[in-house]
Amino acid sequence: MAFMSKSFNKQELHDPGLIRLIFSNTYLAPLWLLARVYLGYQWILAGSHKVWGADRWVAVDGPDGLGLKAYWERATAIPEKGAPPIKYDWYRDFLTYMTDNSWYHWFSWVIALGEVTVGVLLIVGAFTGLAALAGATMNFNFMLAGSASTNPVLFILAVLVLMGWKVAGWIGVDRWLLPALGTPWEPGRIVSAVVPHQEGPSQRLTPRHGPA
Amino acid sequence: MTKLVALILGVSAWAGVAVLAVLITFNVGDKNQILMFLPILAAVILAWAVGEIVTERVFPQREEDM
Repeated sequence: MAFMSKSFNKQELHDPGLIRLIFSNTYLAPLWLLARVYLGYQWILAGSHKVWGADRWVAVDGPDGLGLKAYWERATAIPEKGAPPIKYDWYRDFLTYMTDNSWYHWFSWVIALGEVTVGVLLIVGAFTGLAALAGATMNFNFMLAGSASTNPVLFILAVLVLMGWKVAGWIGVDRWLLPALGTPWEPGRIVSAVVPHQEGPSQRLTPRHGPA
Repeated sequence: MTKLVALILGVSAWAGVAVLAVLITFNVGDKNQILMFLPILAAVILAWAVGEIVTERVFPQREEDM
């Protein structure tokens, strides 16, 4: 078993310089700003159609979420000819369960306000990584439900912003928020002042300094 | 007192960006996405620049934060 301990000896592998430049260096923060604001704008736009206007999902006369119900019913329908919109039976069962239990009344609010919130957070650059994760999750679910539309492009952008979370919000609120709050593995000034800092497992790693 | 005013100014600037982005998108929609995108981008850069200048003057960075 010696080879096992040698293979998995907590050796930290370093990213190449180009990857670190793109995903960890504030020099390219303006590029992330463009991606982030575009993504945020698209989310607010998508959310605006659901909370605003004639075809909105919420705050309508009568029960909320009928638009979402219609969307779920279209997605879960199995046509006589051709392939159904949803490829995975477990996902179709999931949407059918939510439809049968009238979850669309409150879930329409979650989606509509969630889209606007994700958009606002991405535009102001607050909790950028978490906002991108939430956006990617919504894109992923829309794609599972058979909707292509702009979802593939927005999903890729969200994953990239998620990978560049450290610098994606640099020209934004995260420029001040992240140093103040920090992360679970590296608390910031405010958290450190309230909770005494304890050494986490990631900091016990002893990196080997090989070629970058 | 100066720090409190700076903090309120910063929070207000970013809240303003959020409100502006929502108002622009909700009212103008997707009629011209480029024209809608640019003022939002400009507002973000302006709020960030204000924050940088104010932070530099009111909250000078300590050595251990670098």
